[in-house]
Amino acid sequence: MAEIGTIPEQTKQRLETMGAADIVIGLIDQKGGGDVASTADGIRRALGGLTTSVRAVVVYNDTAASPGPPRLPEGVEDDFLRFLPYSLPALDPSITLAQSIANAHRAIWGISDTIGARACVILTSAPEDVASSWIHALAEPILEQNFDLVAPCYVPHKFEGLLNAAILYPLTRAVYGKRIQNPLGPDFGFGARLVRSLLQLDAAKAKIGAANQFLPVGPVAVVRGFKVCQTHLGERAHSPVDWKNLDSVIAGVLGPMFLDIERDAPFWQHIRNSEAVSTYGDHRLPAEEQENVAFDLHRLLDPFQLGFRNLREIWALVLPPGALLELNKAHRLPPEQFRIPDELWTRIIYDFALAYRLRTIGRDHLLRAMTPLYLGWVASYALEVESMEAAGVQKRLERLCTAFENGKPYLLSRWRWPDRFNP
Amino acid sequence: MWIEIQQALNQSTGRVITEIANLLPGIVALIVAMLVAGILAWIVAFLLRRSLRKIHFDERMTSWGFHSVNEWSPAHTPAVLFTRSVTWVILLIGFLIGISAFNVTLTSQLVERLFTYIPHVFAALILLFVGNLVARFLSRSVLIGAVNMNLQYARLLSAGVKWMVLVVTLAMALDHLAIGGRIVYLAFAILFGGIVLALSLAVGLGSKDIISRSLQREASRSSEEIESPFRHL
Repeated sequence: MAEIGTIPEQTKQRLETMGAADIVIGLIDQKGGGDVASTADGIRRALGGLTTSVRAVVVYNDTAASPGPPRLPEGVEDDFLRFLPYSLPALDPSITLAQSIANAHRAIWGISDTIGARACVILTSAPEDVASSWIHALAEPILEQNFDLVAPCYVPHKFEGLLNAAILYPLTRAVYGKRIQNPLGPDFGFGARLVRSLLQLDAAKAKIGAANQFLPVGPVAVVRGFKVCQTHLGERAHSPVDWKNLDSVIAGVLGPMFLDIERDAPFWQHIRNSEAVSTYGDHRLPAEEQENVAFDLHRLLDPFQLGFRNLREIWALVLPPGALLELNKAHRLPPEQFRIPDELWTRIIYDFALAYRLRTIGRDHLLRAMTPLYLGWVASYALEVESMEAAGVQKRLERLCTAFENGKPYLLSRWRWPDRFNP
Repeated sequence: MWIEIQQALNQSTGRVITEIANLLPGIVALIVAMLVAGILAWIVAFLLRRSLRKIHFDERMTSWGFHSVNEWSPAHTPAVLFTRSVTWVILLIGFLIGISAFNVTLTSQLVERLFTYIPHVFAALILLFVGNLVARFLSRSVLIGAVNMNLQYARLLSAGVKWMVLVVTLAMALDHLAIGGRIVYLAFAILFGGIVLALSLAVGLGSKDIISRSLQREASRSSEEIESPFRHL
């Protein structure tokens, strides 16, 4: 019940009249509004596919939520399906999209825990027409196979989810030893035990002044020994890229990730290699014509070149001389031949994780100083996979993950003996 | 005649010897004060050296952005410089205490004035230290922010912010030390006003093309955002 205090009074009253439910479904519509009533049939179909009938509460974001029962069309609600409009804190312009999503997750976990639901499904990036199949895919392993966390797998477009492909997935896989393709979701199915654990962790973080931080759900579940699986969902919907705010996005996502790596060091130092987690659903690759997209290379390379010219002194505090030398070599290459080798990228990420732990420079400065390096990696990757087909891209990303796993002894060595000379 | 000269000489010799004898306790007190200060300075330096080594002071100074300490004194590490500064301050205090033991009005007044001035010196040093930290923090923030905004003149902006803060800090420190009086006010006003005027002119005249090109580029990028195929999250 950690979050009950933050739930508005009118929502609490509505929750009391609703009574218990088996599942809470949170729909985070980032654009606000949305015709939730039209999805009711889809949700009924999704829940009808389960072996037992379940009572569900659908929490949907309605920024203009008015007091009293929601004004829904006749017949939308019944004993098995109730709607709860709730003004989710998803549209605050002062925080990043990742933090907005995290806040919305937090609010829905609070509701789920309050009404004692066995499962909680949160959809953040589901296109409206497929939301019902996603709900079924995320709820079924929790309700019928006793999993605690169902992570999503999406159709792997070569230029989508790049922060996940470049850092989050390979890092989680190498450090925590579980192949969870999207460790930070954002679409998840949660079991009740995990929801409670996440709320407790969140409350503990708030006490040390880290409120509103993004919780790396995948790593948290792995470290606490929860049963984790993943399911193929299909195409996801993306919000437009905010290029001017990319450094805030990187800082907002990687900060909590590095913090967890620091906290969980006793757990992951003994892990060697990685293992697959149970995966459900049909794995689909994107259609060929969808992958032939043009991009502006200079838009990625210019920030890297500018960063190399101006931030070298800051990078030198974090990276060993050998890495700087290799970056210098990459910097001198003609744009079409620009490459950041996997081994170098792996070491860069590990060195930044270590510098985060050692507070070599201010943590916010450190994470933001990574942005040009990240865009450099994106440029290198984009050049490499530009003409590749989907299967080739998957192999390419698998090579990167292997490089992260092979590089783990380097992380361990630097983690244990950070003062040792490292060329 | 000769006898009178002899008497006068004896009297003046006696006076000189008396004066020297009067000085002797003061000299002994000065030596004792210096000895005590020396021993205290040695103990403090020893403890300070060990503590600084333990907290990796030299590495931390570099990571805090104080690279220039090595440039001032390449032969000595920041820890050695800091330890020596503290040692000399203790020795100076010991010397001033010793001097006050002479009980001569002039020296007593001098020492009293020096002692009342010491807190101002410390306050000024703290001001300089904090100002330096703030300047470096802000210049690093501006540099990283400007690079991430893809501004070609990121380093110039960062250096501008750093020197602005340092100039304000220096003016505050000099004001605290009562050095320069109105000259510092005037010099600060002229310098600060000059920097702002120079920047205004640079933006208004000299760099207007660069600024307009940069703004144009940013504006065109905003319109391209939707077309970008890259999705990071």
